[in-house]
Amino acid sequence: MSTPAVMEPISGASPCPGARITGVLYLLYFLTAILGELFLKGIVVDGDATATATNLLAHQSLFRLGLATGLIATALYIAVTALFYGLFKPVNRSISLLAAFFGLVACAITTFGSLFQLAPLVLLGGSQYLSVFNLQQLRALALMFLELNNQAANLYLVLFGFYDLLIGYLIFKSMFLPRFLGVLMALAGLGWLTFLSPPFANHLSPYNLVLGFLAELSLMLWLLVMGVNVQRWQQQASAVGEWHS
Amino acid sequence: MNAPPMIKRISEASPRFKARMAGVFQLLEAITAACPGVFILGRLVVDGNAAATAANILGHERLFWLGFASLLIGVACHITWALLMYELLKPVNRSLSSLATFVMLVGCAIQALTSLFYLAPLLILQGGSSLSAFTAEQLQALALMFVKLNSYANDIYLVFFGFWCILIGYLIFRSTFLPRVLGVLLAISGLGWVTYLYPPLAYHLFMPYIAAASALGEIPLEFWLIVMGVNAQRWKEQAAAAAEWRS
Repeated sequence: MSTPAVMEPISGASPCPGARITGVLYLLYFLTAILGELFLKGIVVDGDATATATNLLAHQSLFRLGLATGLIATALYIAVTALFYGLFKPVNRSISLLAAFFGLVACAITTFGSLFQLAPLVLLGGSQYLSVFNLQQLRALALMFLELNNQAANLYLVLFGFYDLLIGYLIFKSMFLPRFLGVLMALAGLGWLTFLSPPFANHLSPYNLVLGFLAELSLMLWLLVMGVNVQRWQQQASAVGEWHS
Repeated sequence: MNAPPMIKRISEASPRFKARMAGVFQLLEAITAACPGVFILGRLVVDGNAAATAANILGHERLFWLGFASLLIGVACHITWALLMYELLKPVNRSLSSLATFVMLVGCAIQALTSLFYLAPLLILQGGSSLSAFTAEQLQALALMFVKLNSYANDIYLVFFGFWCILIGYLIFRSTFLPRVLGVLLAISGLGWVTYLYPPLAYHLFMPYIAAASALGEIPLEFWLIVMGVNAQRWKEQAAAAAEWRS
């Protein structure tokens, strides 16, 4: 591999995984995640089992639609994770893989949380065998499962925190994306890490949430509009290739 | 690329051998993951009757634990199957096959967590004095509720499996070493599983559409992989072409 990378842009490294497609999938993730929240919004009333149960039974299709949209959002985030892995491999292969593993476990926990959201559908479904509980008990149980999902959210936010921190580092070290995006992502990661102590995170809310949202939004827009500097990416990739062989 | 010799040996195992093992693990996964649901829960659970279900579960405790073990073995087989398919289809498109594997890993995590819901009824029914605040009828009802929840949770796993089938189906279609029709059939069965995004729709379609699509998509692939493997010559050609493109 003695030929300068600039002279052989394509053969210098693996083809740069499309930054645009990453941006598009990232955008779709944003849209589906927000849509899913909107569908579920207003159904769960914190601390009020009766209102929650009434809302849920009245808007069962909306609730199911919200769950389905959430699952699609997770699938999209897995795709973004896979593409980021390819994008940042030239920067540092091991850290890129580590980040991907954090992202995957976070996605698995997100989905695990949605399993708890299914329980209210069973509990409030009106099956005869559940009549050994009185209505208040069933509603309380349903709300308890929904709250468990909120606790699961605290878990996956921490993992996303580690993920964003690592992605921030990789962006900072990369030659093909602006450094300020890396700093923003690392800050967002620190914001999500406050969920290690949910009371502390709630204390800081909404600043930590806004930080995370803004960082991911800027990264998404940058990938969508500007893409990455392909030439620099290939330089970095061929440098790694040389190092490996 | 100076890979360690061990890894080199594994990654240089003949593609036909990998294909055969992929088929074997697919078959093992199908058996070990499906048996507990179909033969154990299907036999022990009396729909809508919590007391009879509880009596059946407590009367077949060993069988129930066997089902739990079988589920976990199924997860292990599934991970192995997914990894072998990744190795096999990497020459077609490296990014897409790693995406498919990532999707399946999350799916396998859900599959493993779902087995907790499978086990919950037994734990609740054997709870003893720690659960004595509930009446026996209430515990039986809770146990049956977890049986239902187990099947709902399985629906989520099926969605991820569906996405994986579509991606792998596409990769098989674009490969030169496996018959295209197998890819098309697998992708169609994947579409069927993805309808579990909205379970009421999927339950409506299951008999006969999703069941038929899944049988047509997965069984021929399984037997093709075990009996025929892949066209090793063509696989090596595509792998060489991919390597040339990269270096």
